[in-house]
Amino acid sequence: MTDVGRADRISVGVGAAVRAFLREPIQVAVLLALPLVVIEGYGYAMTAFPEFPFMEMNAETMGRLNGAIYAAAFLSGVMGLFQVISAVQADERLQLCGYSRAELFVTRLATVLAASLIVAAVSLAVLLWRVDVAVPTVVFLALTAAALVYGLLGMLVGAVLPRALEGSLVLVFLVDADDFLSSGMVEIDTRLVELFPLYHPHQVFQSAVDGSIATGDALVTGAYILCLLGVVAAVYVRVTGNGGVLRG
Amino acid sequence: MPNIEKRLRNGDSELDGEVVLRADEISKTYESVLPFVGRTVEVLEGAGVEIEAGEIVGIVGENGAGKSTLMQILVGALGADEGAVAVDGAVGWCPQEPLLYDRLTVRETFRLFGTAYGMDDGEIAEARDHYADLLGFEQFLDYRVDHLSGGNRQKINLSVALMHDPDVLLLDEPYTGFDWETYLAFWNLTEELTEQGTAIAIISHFVSERERFDRIVELADGVLTDVTDREPEASNGRGSGVAASEDGSTPGVNAGD
Repeated sequence: MTDVGRADRISVGVGAAVRAFLREPIQVAVLLALPLVVIEGYGYAMTAFPEFPFMEMNAETMGRLNGAIYAAAFLSGVMGLFQVISAVQADERLQLCGYSRAELFVTRLATVLAASLIVAAVSLAVLLWRVDVAVPTVVFLALTAAALVYGLLGMLVGAVLPRALEGSLVLVFLVDADDFLSSGMVEIDTRLVELFPLYHPHQVFQSAVDGSIATGDALVTGAYILCLLGVVAAVYVRVTGNGGVLRG
Repeated sequence: MPNIEKRLRNGDSELDGEVVLRADEISKTYESVLPFVGRTVEVLEGAGVEIEAGEIVGIVGENGAGKSTLMQILVGALGADEGAVAVDGAVGWCPQEPLLYDRLTVRETFRLFGTAYGMDDGEIAEARDHYADLLGFEQFLDYRVDHLSGGNRQKINLSVALMHDPDVLLLDEPYTGFDWETYLAFWNLTEELTEQGTAIAIISHFVSERERFDRIVELADGVLTDVTDREPEASNGRGSGVAASEDGSTPGVNAGD
């Protein structure tokens, strides 16, 4: 039997995972439609609030911006969760046949990245339609970063709590609280907030909308993603399957 | 597509002669980690079995006897609490429920699992076409797995276990949902494989055609007992064992299809 290389296994695995993802039309439709609903819904909801002195923009725009971050993070988080739990037994068989856990992780990560790019692009498109955005490229990168952070956290939740309902509930409350507290909508005098997953992406996002790029926050965001990637990869590899015993 | 890769898993001693799979003193207990939601179940208590090259062994037992647990331990999908499994060669595993990716086509399924086994594109295509012809699913190669009937899914499930030409084949209720022609094709295939030296173990609730097996072992009370020489008994309604089917039909096979 030919010795197929790791690159081939990853290439075939990523192709299969992305195809499987795109072949669920409702799933893709949700990814395309929900950002619009969430962004506009948040904007409309915020019109009921008065203009507080610490707000740097009108409430409706602030609502739309928070909605964009929430949509990107939550949808990607749920995608990450279901990438891990939806085919867990087939994944186990694939590992027994020869895929290493690390290779399988890469294939799942590629799908999460694809989903992150889709929701970030759709969210940006809605924002460009409704809000004046100074640096769209950086806004897109910040939204992608927010989506990727929660995509990874979704995979982490899926690895340690492989249950659809419970995992989804964890993500709903986590993203909601994180988005609200990181947004600056209410001033919280604690450095604890700076540790929240969305805090630094939020700063980059907000600055790019205004036109001033928060370079320091961008660097922290990159480092945060790399650290999170390492943690999630280690946990995933640790808790899933036995790997490669059928192939001989 | 020669399978020349050999291995010994969890074994601390070499396998003797023609023995290609040996399980020694396998014990497995399922314990609930949460209170009030489950109970401790001792499934296997020192079960052991040896299978030789070219041999076909039936493993029978009542519902809940632990047959699938034993199979999962033999393939390495599940760890045993005690005991060891030694395997000489590559293993093919056909789980009871098809463990496949619903949204991939049959062709893509072969590509994915073939790549996992280390096969190149030519070997994958050869194996895919061979089993598609043999089991009769050529017309479904571009269908998604979740669009197939249960019987056709089972054919893909079985073919994935066979495609890398394994030395040891472990099949858990492999012909569930097969029509009669596919059932017969399956047994013709097992004959060819055993003639080539492949060892085969088949789990079933019933062994209704005992002449097809070299040996039959029964899993009961956590241990395996050789019942090859036991006289066939009429089905007693308990849903297991070496049973003589009164109407000549084979449980799990769709005679009408």
